[in-house]
Amino acid sequence: MSILDAIQANLLSPAVLFFALGLIAALTKSDLKFPEPLYVALTIYLLVAIGFKGGVAIAEAGLAKVWLPACAAMLLGALIPLWTYPVLRFGGKFPAVDAAAIAAHYGSVSAVTFIAATNYLKAVNQPFENYATAFLAVMESPAILVGVVLGKLATSKSGARDMTSLKAAMHEALFGRSIFLLVGALVVGWLCGKPGMAKVEAFFVTPFQGVLALFLLEMGMVAGRRLEDLKKVGPFLLAFGIVMPLLHGCLGVWLGKLTGLELGGAILMGVLAASASYIAAPAAIRMSLPDANPTFYLTSSLAVTFPFNIALGIPIYFEVARWLYS
Amino acid sequence: MNLHPMKLVTIVCEAYAQDAVTKLLRDTGAHGWTSFAVEGDGSQGKRPADIREFANVQIEVVLQPETATRLLERLATDFFPRYAMIAFESNVRVLRRDKF
Repeated sequence: MSILDAIQANLLSPAVLFFALGLIAALTKSDLKFPEPLYVALTIYLLVAIGFKGGVAIAEAGLAKVWLPACAAMLLGALIPLWTYPVLRFGGKFPAVDAAAIAAHYGSVSAVTFIAATNYLKAVNQPFENYATAFLAVMESPAILVGVVLGKLATSKSGARDMTSLKAAMHEALFGRSIFLLVGALVVGWLCGKPGMAKVEAFFVTPFQGVLALFLLEMGMVAGRRLEDLKKVGPFLLAFGIVMPLLHGCLGVWLGKLTGLELGGAILMGVLAASASYIAAPAAIRMSLPDANPTFYLTSSLAVTFPFNIALGIPIYFEVARWLYS
Repeated sequence: MNLHPMKLVTIVCEAYAQDAVTKLLRDTGAHGWTSFAVEGDGSQGKRPADIREFANVQIEVVLQPETATRLLERLATDFFPRYAMIAFESNVRVLRRDKF
């Protein structure tokens, strides 16, 4: 399969086509709109399903197999802001606080991108380690904390107030609803193991693809409504939102191989490294670095990197991994 | 019926600011408040309430006139430069003055 075939297989999947449909709905100003509670319900379902599945996979594989790549994933997440920050600060001439905020978003991860990637691997019959969900769980928070500290160091004036907002960011990064649900479901799945899976499979596994398609329709609309902000972010950030994921994707795949993952797991590690957060990170950053401009970090992660990864990034990382493993 | 003059302060802000605002309300001496999710359009762009985190909230609080002034001053100095937010006060009359 060539890279073009891989991209084509991805673009013609229901998930990506529904995402495109959502984009079109937003661009044509259709009055189609999901009620907010439905969005929340779909998120809860997807996070619990993926977390539970991952937990069962950890129980099957044993912690001994998971810990090394999980630590590597966590370290990679924490380190990404350390080089994206200077790129933004000196290459893009962004103010320190904005550079730190954007860096935090690119070190952190997008659960939906990860889920779409697992969906893609299934569609092209590429087996993968289901316990990769554990990497998703451990990669969300470290980068946010590193980004907040970078932003604080760069703009530090008064000590006392800074500490309380750092605490608020830490609370949000560790106990925000998405990370809480994901880690909680992982633990539940791990404790239940295979017998537990048999009981909930009909609910959490069979309808999963349909729910994902519906969710991506909504995410297409959410991203589409922010497309007009692209004009405000400038060409540097647009390029950054595409080039950085490509570099991080290759780095993630390579790190996955280095820590003993199979081809499928390494692709997922690449996807995680390439993805940028647009729910957990903005919430934590808005609270702890309120002087950073949300248009920059939200638009680049939600309106540039997220659609890029969903449409093109995932099959590209797939091909990179296949090349690296051949 | 015995009605007492009070000030109703209305704050419309991005949802991310809600925790910081409610903490300020507590600090300035408000006894309670009401908040609800809203959507709209303003100088900092459209706020489609598609995701709770990206939405706006409206917070309403009834206060003694001097407390209301103190609150608005704090909002103007500490919050307006950082958050998408508007705030205004209006005259209201309440029953049970001691509740405020």
